[in-house]
Amino acid sequence: MAREKAVNKKMGMKMKENIYQVILWIILLLIAATMVLPFLYVIMVSFTDSSVYVAGSFYLWPKKWSTDAYQLILSGAGFLNALKSTLFITLIGTPLNVLVCAGLAYLLSKPVPGKKFFNKYVMITMLFGAGMIPNFMNMKALGLMDSYFACILPSVCGAWTVMVMRSFFQSLPIELEEAAEIDGCGQLKMFGIIVLPLSKAMLASMTLFAFVSYWNTYFSAIMYLTSTTKAPLQVYVQKIVLSSTVSDVVDLQLDLAKTVPQEVMRMAAVVVVVLPVLIVYPFLQKYFASGMMVGAVKG
Amino acid sequence: MAAKAKVVNVRQKSLGKRLYQYRWVYLLGLPGLLLMLFFNYLPMRGLLMAFQNYNPHMGILGSEWVGLKHFQTLFKDAKFYSMLRNTLVISGLNLLTFPAPIILALILNEVRNAKFKKFIQTSVYLPHFLSWTIVASLTFFLLSSEQGVINKIAIALGGEAHAYLFDTKAIYPIIVIQSLWKGIGWGSIVYLAAIAGVDQSLYEAARMDGATKLQCMIKITIPSIMPTIVVMLILKMGSIVSVDFEQVFLMNNAMVKKQLEVFEIYIYNNGIAGGSTQYSYTTAIGMFKSVINTSLVILTNWITNRKGYEGIM
Repeated sequence: MAREKAVNKKMGMKMKENIYQVILWIILLLIAATMVLPFLYVIMVSFTDSSVYVAGSFYLWPKKWSTDAYQLILSGAGFLNALKSTLFITLIGTPLNVLVCAGLAYLLSKPVPGKKFFNKYVMITMLFGAGMIPNFMNMKALGLMDSYFACILPSVCGAWTVMVMRSFFQSLPIELEEAAEIDGCGQLKMFGIIVLPLSKAMLASMTLFAFVSYWNTYFSAIMYLTSTTKAPLQVYVQKIVLSSTVSDVVDLQLDLAKTVPQEVMRMAAVVVVVLPVLIVYPFLQKYFASGMMVGAVKG
Repeated sequence: MAAKAKVVNVRQKSLGKRLYQYRWVYLLGLPGLLLMLFFNYLPMRGLLMAFQNYNPHMGILGSEWVGLKHFQTLFKDAKFYSMLRNTLVISGLNLLTFPAPIILALILNEVRNAKFKKFIQTSVYLPHFLSWTIVASLTFFLLSSEQGVINKIAIALGGEAHAYLFDTKAIYPIIVIQSLWKGIGWGSIVYLAAIAGVDQSLYEAARMDGATKLQCMIKITIPSIMPTIVVMLILKMGSIVSVDFEQVFLMNNAMVKKQLEVFEIYIYNNGIAGGSTQYSYTTAIGMFKSVINTSLVILTNWITNRKGYEGIM
């Protein structure tokens, strides 16, 4: 009897645990759905052929697929200009960001004279900012208005990245460097052939972070880039989605422009602009789990 | 021990020798230090404009000094109080969502199936990497009166379209939900890391004593991750008078202009956009905001340290 009761109890507990898990799954699936479904919807609409498109209805699956919207967008001068800007900002900014931050982080990780001062120097930039107008005036004074470098340089050396890298360098085994020092390895060489290769995984994640943040350049572009031809992709997509005349923004010479519905064009533009982020995202994700972020916050 | 011995060894050398010894390390750090000088410290000289009637032709050195005039005008300006109110409403509502990432982390931590957990994590972290322009576009596709999914469904069900994006009552909830959507997953990472660091023997002991899952969560997990919660709260306090400029700028339109007029928007409209030249006044507003932000971080950090938690500094 007693044994039967115990078995029953055990089964009851298992049952309870299963119900518990099912409830958790449902909650989490609902949350995840709000993140995934908008993209699926946007993708579906962007591939809808204009012959089956009916304004005011919505599409979970296009009855007829078409890549017209994409062809239009990719061939428009508006997109090509914006892409050029974004590529310039991203391709120059990303490596610069990683190398400069790594250099400064290395300095902060060594017992150099003035280390305390340098640490404060970096921390203060986290605590206090000059504000929009002083930054704007400064950019004017430096002669960087309407230059891509106005969108690149201010975010090259960020306190957060430097602090994350510093705590990583500090966690590297000191013996390796000591041994190299004894062998007569200079400091630059040590940084280049010992420290950086040991930090490959960390540097990779920082590269991706920098890539995404430069790709998403928006505010500094509307502040500092005065020529409309220099506007990057984020400004382009904002104009397409929120302006009433899509074809002007896309800058089309083709007759097709009139046949593809506005809504489909808008969705296709969003997909094109977000795609690179979606592509690098899985690689980025590998590095999230580590306590890296916490370490940085606690400095 | 080895590291300590090395430090002592280093200290014994003269300053000049040590500077020379590390010359290449200084060189590596130099570009970063210079960039911060040019783009973080040099702009601070512009704060002087807040105490002047700044004239671009005369420069900072030649402009007329007016002392605290702009700050006095500011505190008498009815617009200032409406901006402060708008900002505090938005940050206050955002603060209400502060527990959301903690709850998400607690739920994720209970999931047994590793693959499912991974899938959920992949989906919820994604929005953090999207730009505000994309988030605003998705919001438009969801809520716009002609092309928004919600209105399409409403019409299909025989209802009427509603212009949510122009609705003065809906705009604050929209802003807060956007922030929550974008930040909940990313915000949960820190807490997940903290939960993973909790001593497992505590749970075993509690289970021996017959504690339920809920009891374990309230009595063990939450107290253990309290230091992390406190640090995150401090960081959040620092931005209580700031609103994300890009987000508000993108959601702005003629109908909700009044609700969304926050400091950053006013500064942009009157200091930069459309040839406006209220440089001094807008600098004063920005400076007021920065000073409040920094003081709040320092204050909350000080309180936290006094209460026995470890702050950020």
